[in-house]
Amino acid sequence: MNASQFGRRISPLLACIGLLCVWQAGALALKTDSFPTALEAIRAIPSILGDHESLLNILDSLRRMAIGFGLAALVSIPLGLMMGRIRAVASLCNPLLMIVYPVPKAALMPVIMLWLGVGDVSKTLVIFLGVSIPIIYHSFQGAKAVEEKMVWSGAAMGLSGFQRMFRIVLPAALPEILAGCRTGLVLALITMVTSEMIARQNGAGNILFNALDMAQYDTVFAMIIVIGALGIIFDAAFEKLRRALVRWSEPRFDMPLSFS
Amino acid sequence: MNARLVSTDIILGIIPIALVIALWQGLVSFGYAPVALLPPPGSVFARLAQQLVNPGFLHDIGATLLRLFAGFGIAVVLGVALGLAAAVSPGVNAVVRPMVRVLAPLPKVALYPAMLLLLGFDHASKITLVTADALFPILLSAYYGASMVEQKLVWSAMAAGTPRSQILFKVVLPAALPSILTGCRIGLVISCIVVFLAEMITSTDGLGHELVAAARTFQTVDMFVPLITISLLGLILNGLLHGLRTYLLRGFPEV
Repeated sequence: MNASQFGRRISPLLACIGLLCVWQAGALALKTDSFPTALEAIRAIPSILGDHESLLNILDSLRRMAIGFGLAALVSIPLGLMMGRIRAVASLCNPLLMIVYPVPKAALMPVIMLWLGVGDVSKTLVIFLGVSIPIIYHSFQGAKAVEEKMVWSGAAMGLSGFQRMFRIVLPAALPEILAGCRTGLVLALITMVTSEMIARQNGAGNILFNALDMAQYDTVFAMIIVIGALGIIFDAAFEKLRRALVRWSEPRFDMPLSFS
Repeated sequence: MNARLVSTDIILGIIPIALVIALWQGLVSFGYAPVALLPPPGSVFARLAQQLVNPGFLHDIGATLLRLFAGFGIAVVLGVALGLAAAVSPGVNAVVRPMVRVLAPLPKVALYPAMLLLLGFDHASKITLVTADALFPILLSAYYGASMVEQKLVWSAMAAGTPRSQILFKVVLPAALPSILTGCRIGLVISCIVVFLAEMITSTDGLGHELVAAARTFQTVDMFVPLITISLLGLILNGLLHGLRTYLLRGFPEV
């Protein structure tokens, strides 16, 4: 590993430390009750992670997130690929997606709660809805950009439509699909927090907003650190996976295009 | 693309939307869903039409739009400036890049309680949240667009005698414009979503607050109205941005 590689690897860590320092300085300068220093917040983390119940809560959230994300990937990737290859499917689905896009999926939570209750089902459904749109969109773009000649040669060599989809379009669109999944992953985390904030029952979002209501500010900020760290860890882990899967494709970015 | 294909596209596009509304109506009229839980589409749209002339509701829309535009505007200015600076200067790049790597995957909604405590319950905290969420797609697309500018363009501008200080505005910025506008589009949709969420969490006005207030009093019809309104707002703003894009990018090859 040479110096510049080492620098690239260490620089996000430096950025984290820098941000925490800014926070510490800001808190010391402001000196208000509601804004604990970075050190106080970090000191509160072990008491959350050490507590059996809050740990179970966080694991509950992660389970819902994993199920919602997995289901969304299973449904959205085939749909997106079909939209990219078959014109009729694209014109069928595009306008509906355009309408659904700007609706905050977590805002559907109160409505869905009326039908399905406050339990796991409605939260997982909301996560599913939130994650699927970017994945559909990216798979669509990826499948549309597949070189026509490759599909033709596949057809000339006698691959059926399904085989062409699976063996040519899917691998060719994989980098783009994975970019969509990366966005979806961050989005799943955001939707998870918001859904639990609206239907307060259990989960990481519940701990965060309950602490806010009860003015336990160090817990609030500690939970923010925990959730933020989860986001960064997932993103980094997914980036590793992506590199392993599509080593042949140069990434356009080593930075995520995250959006909710 | 000829006109006939476009019109078939429109017809095909209307089918699923009509199907969804038909399914919705069917669920209600055949009694699968009680009216209290799922009001019929007719009464929802009638209520929407009625609310659109109601000054109270218009005030809510105004409050939402104000926060949306303020947050989005700040995000565009900051994002484009930082993105271009990071692409042009290695020094800025060394600072901005790791910061973005850390901050972009962070779920910004989780930061909202911190913003509430610091900035209060008023506009400021919501605008900050919108900015924080819309900033990164714009920043990244500006950075990407500016770092992909063909070196030859810069060289020929320099050869033609453009001063170094003006190359940024005369060459790099216009060349990065298509990418920046794509980022703005994503940022705009995000702004719609985030402003609504922020208003749902704590607010006394705005569309998100309307939804929460209706949910608390079990007014299902009123719960659907803000949702449809934000979807319409998103569509309209998206259309406006698309118009701006076609105007700004006239003379560019098809992008």
